[in-house]
Amino acid sequence: MLRIALITAALFAFTSDAFARPVSYTGGWTLIEDTDRQSTSALVHYSPSQEYSVGLKADWDRNSDILFTGVQGTWLAKRWFGEEHQANLYFWGAAGLAEGIDSNKGGDEVGTQIGVMADWETRQLFVSYRASARDYGSLDKSAMQAARVGFAPYAGDTGELHTWFMLEVDNRPDADEPIGVTPLLRLFYGSALFEAGWSLTDDQPLLNFQYRF
Amino acid sequence: MFRALLITGLLAVSTPALAQMNPDAPKHGSAHMGDHAGHDHKANPHMGHDMGEIESALKLSDQPELAAALAAGGEPVVAKVLGAVCDFCAKAMNKTFGKRDDVAAVYVDLDAKTLNLVMKPGATMSDKALRKAVKKSGYKVDTIARGTGTLTQADMLTP
Repeated sequence: MLRIALITAALFAFTSDAFARPVSYTGGWTLIEDTDRQSTSALVHYSPSQEYSVGLKADWDRNSDILFTGVQGTWLAKRWFGEEHQANLYFWGAAGLAEGIDSNKGGDEVGTQIGVMADWETRQLFVSYRASARDYGSLDKSAMQAARVGFAPYAGDTGELHTWFMLEVDNRPDADEPIGVTPLLRLFYGSALFEAGWSLTDDQPLLNFQYRF
Repeated sequence: MFRALLITGLLAVSTPALAQMNPDAPKHGSAHMGDHAGHDHKANPHMGHDMGEIESALKLSDQPELAAALAAGGEPVVAKVLGAVCDFCAKAMNKTFGKRDDVAAVYVDLDAKTLNLVMKPGATMSDKALRKAVKKSGYKVDTIARGTGTLTQADMLTP
């Protein structure tokens, strides 16, 4: 139990957001934490160039009692630029150790994850999609996908608080509730991004945090 | 599932809404001012231009740190940047240019969609170097303007 508490504390200490940009500027570091209705994850990454990042990842599946720790690489395959918008396409993969924890006595397995993310945004509109799959050997093999739409009631200028209202719909075929709906609030201030939402499907929180150094 | 992910990725690439976002080639020089060695003048109609003779559509943002660097004698440079939609974009360019020895002040103006630089006195930055640094930040330069044409009346009245 103490171990779980420590893991939880560590994960919440390192905040990040899968729907924000997972690759930074050349030489930039980013801390990311994601908590959704199924899992809590943390990623610390460094971007050697503006096109990819490498980082350390911990991913705790609270539903299945599986802890994954490993390294993740993310590739910004394409960025579309416009005067009023930006769009991105990312691919990522992670490899490491997956272990059954708490009630899961499944032991340890080599684990891999892969995913794709795409987004399009202006200063007041946001659309994104992501899909991922994981192979934890005998522990778990599963996939998920999610889409998000959002709008900002005002276009915040540099250094101002940016506020977004968003709606996320996710599909997890193996979950008790395969379709999840989560409204959320995104606050963006300087180098920090914070998101708070609530899954209407199974009363679970969404808490994401990201800080870019 | 891996095949499904690959297909999803390909679909995302081919989505018309995304495909039409690719902008035209950079429109350089329409607002370019100043007379500095090393600039990319390929499409610049103002080669050999006189400082202050041509009014630029790009104006230096009204920020205290820019004004202070300007008052110290630095050259103003304003670049229209594509894709800058949030504070993370601003942060990236602030970090990239903030650690350069030749830049006295930097400010990203999301409203104006501009990167504002004031060089250290006597320092210059070529268009090529500017574009490269913005690219390292993850963004893209559209047009570049330099010199007194980027200054507002208020800037020029600042002692």
